[in-house]
Amino acid sequence: MKTQSGEKLQFKLILLLLASIMILTSCGGGKKPAPTVAPSGSETSPFTGLNLSVPDPYNPPIEMTSVIAVNATVKFTEGNDINNNIWTRAYRDLLGINFTYKWVVDGSMYDQKLGLSINSGDIPDMFAVNGSQLKLYQESGLLTDLTSVYDAEASPNTRDILTQDPVALRAATIDGKLWGIPLTDASVATASVLWVRQDWMTKLGIEAPASMADVLDISRRFTEEDPDGNGVKDTFGMCMDKDLFGAIGGLQGFFNGYHAYPGIWFERDGKIVYGSVQPEIRDGLLALQKMYASGQIDPEFGVKDVNAMTESIAQGKCGMEFGVWWNPYHPLNLSQANNQDAYWQAFPIPSVDSAPAKSQYSTAIGSFLVVRNGYEHPEALIRMVNFWTDNIVRSQEDAVRTVFLGDIKNPDVVLYKYTPVVLWEPNASIDGSRKLREALAKHDPTGLNNEMAWRYRIIQAYFEQGIKEAWVEVATNGPNGAVSILEGVLGDYGLLNRFYGPPTPTMAEKLPTLQTMESEMITKVIMGDSIDLFDQFVNDWYELGGTKIVEEVNQWAEANP
Amino acid sequence: MQKKSKVPLMRSNHLPLILLGAVMTVYGLAAALAATVLSNQAMRGMIAGGVYKARQTAFDQTASLVAGILLLALFIWCAVASKGIVRVGFCFGAMAALMTMLVGRNEMLPVPSAFSGPVIAILVALPLTILFILWACGRRVPRGCRWVAFISIFIVLAAAIFPTYVILMVSKIPPGDPAILTVGKLVDVSTNVIKLRYLLPGLSFLLIAYLSMRFARKNPAMPEG
Repeated sequence: MKTQSGEKLQFKLILLLLASIMILTSCGGGKKPAPTVAPSGSETSPFTGLNLSVPDPYNPPIEMTSVIAVNATVKFTEGNDINNNIWTRAYRDLLGINFTYKWVVDGSMYDQKLGLSINSGDIPDMFAVNGSQLKLYQESGLLTDLTSVYDAEASPNTRDILTQDPVALRAATIDGKLWGIPLTDASVATASVLWVRQDWMTKLGIEAPASMADVLDISRRFTEEDPDGNGVKDTFGMCMDKDLFGAIGGLQGFFNGYHAYPGIWFERDGKIVYGSVQPEIRDGLLALQKMYASGQIDPEFGVKDVNAMTESIAQGKCGMEFGVWWNPYHPLNLSQANNQDAYWQAFPIPSVDSAPAKSQYSTAIGSFLVVRNGYEHPEALIRMVNFWTDNIVRSQEDAVRTVFLGDIKNPDVVLYKYTPVVLWEPNASIDGSRKLREALAKHDPTGLNNEMAWRYRIIQAYFEQGIKEAWVEVATNGPNGAVSILEGVLGDYGLLNRFYGPPTPTMAEKLPTLQTMESEMITKVIMGDSIDLFDQFVNDWYELGGTKIVEEVNQWAEANP
Repeated sequence: MQKKSKVPLMRSNHLPLILLGAVMTVYGLAAALAATVLSNQAMRGMIAGGVYKARQTAFDQTASLVAGILLLALFIWCAVASKGIVRVGFCFGAMAALMTMLVGRNEMLPVPSAFSGPVIAILVALPLTILFILWACGRRVPRGCRWVAFISIFIVLAAAIFPTYVILMVSKIPPGDPAILTVGKLVDVSTNVIKLRYLLPGLSFLLIAYLSMRFARKNPAMPEG
């Protein structure tokens, strides 16, 4: 009995000691978390053990409401929804922001819903807007000036990413103040390159095109010399469709070869001018007219949309197109799928004369994150942006990417679609592709991230194992691939659309009509109408609002040097 | 069970077998060299991807046709100059020579090159494998030749199947998957293995010819195969 009571006493003492330790431990909080955190929460927290860079979380947590557009590709794993997912938990647990959505709507309805919401006075704390909305809401006094919070809170990674695109921050700046955070992407990705069937060139003994004269000659020979070898004259030199200026078979690259820049604004003699009404367009139109007349362009292009043109490419009826760097992923891959030997090679836009051609492109900044006027914590947006740039964009850690972007084994669930704070590094693909090419030249993939290491192996499979389907990676990211051409476009061989602001009043009212006129004129001239139509179009363009638009754009340019 | 006496592989002389091994080795060497030079040029950006493919295809089609015809003639010559199970083996080898002519003509098979290449490699490897199995099992085949044939079975099969296996693995790995780092090392190995597809069997034939000739010299009283 004595022994038993002694054991009970010892047990009670141990319990007392443990209770004391627990009480003392719980009172000792308030320590500043280390820059690299093992975040708070239970041991099952998905953030435990991740190497994350986060600031001190808000204490007590703050509330932030937002709105978001989704589409059919936004999917959730079990137990998750738009208001309870890895991103809302990250904002809550890591940043101290209780982040909720006021509403969720299909992408096509977003602008309309946002307008209704704001008109009814139900303004979210943080939301995404386009260029026109940015200007409208800023003028209406609905937005917070983010200049000071950006200066104070933006991390070096955020600053670097936002300045890689030279117009990103300028596009979000009105009257010298920053009103939004631009959602960056690769602007140069819209620049044109020339895609040519290399296997047809080899078969006909044609050298790489060095000038627009070469392009016209290749087009003629592809049409006349039966490059597919089927004994039937059923091939066209160049693909295009009725939309004229798309990312596939778009004519802007062709015009760029004539130093003409349709659809964009650029500086000439100290003024900003509209490319579609400049005299160089005439030369390009005449060349296209001749090509059409001699059967080098599909006679039905005027009624064929991009899908029909894609079909022509897939069937191997077309040997050349002006497109963008990713065209091998679609639709040029279809051509190779039907003919193993089909290989499309990218070339820089050739020039009509000795002056190098410049490939035109426009900024990819289409949206901005803004904070409503009166919201107490505008710096929270900058912290969320920092969280993205520091931990997602610049992190190569698989664990971090898996937790926040998605598990590679479950590719349908793309986690970053749950947050509006998504900025891509404008030059990431160009830098990554350069490193990839260097690794290929050295035969050493050491130091490449997982994605580039994968591309390295795919390209290696093409060059060393004869896997012809791997040509897509070779043609895009490989040596002499399309992305290597974009490096030149970022340098001296590109022309960035000088106008990156929201549509001017007259532009918003008149430009759609003027663009329809332009398309009709181009189609008619190519199909054989007199080139005088172009001169008539230029006159009409200025008379029907163009003069005013040019004036407004130049005023905008003065305010946004 | 009656023990059969060993005999050399060839009845009169070993010249056709030596030539067979030499042609296969030279073709393997030339193919490996051309592939290395062209892929190096392409990966360094000295020639465009499409130009690389055109040159590689042109080389493969020409060289495989020439090598295929030569190998076919030599296998037939070898079959005529041998007998028994050795001759049966050469007949299977002649089928491998025919399949060699398909190298570089993947487009003749109605499947993607990721499959047609391995299919052709296996079509070439299977008759050779049967040849070596027959020789390895041939009780009248000199002991050394049987051992080399036995080892060659694995060499031929591995050279055909391993790269296919690796490519299948790579094709299942999505972009960004860290598994590529592990599989990537296998890709390096398999690209070198591919270059040995003709070289090693060619050397096997030369070694077998040498061993058979040595056997014939050491056993002059033995009737030749």
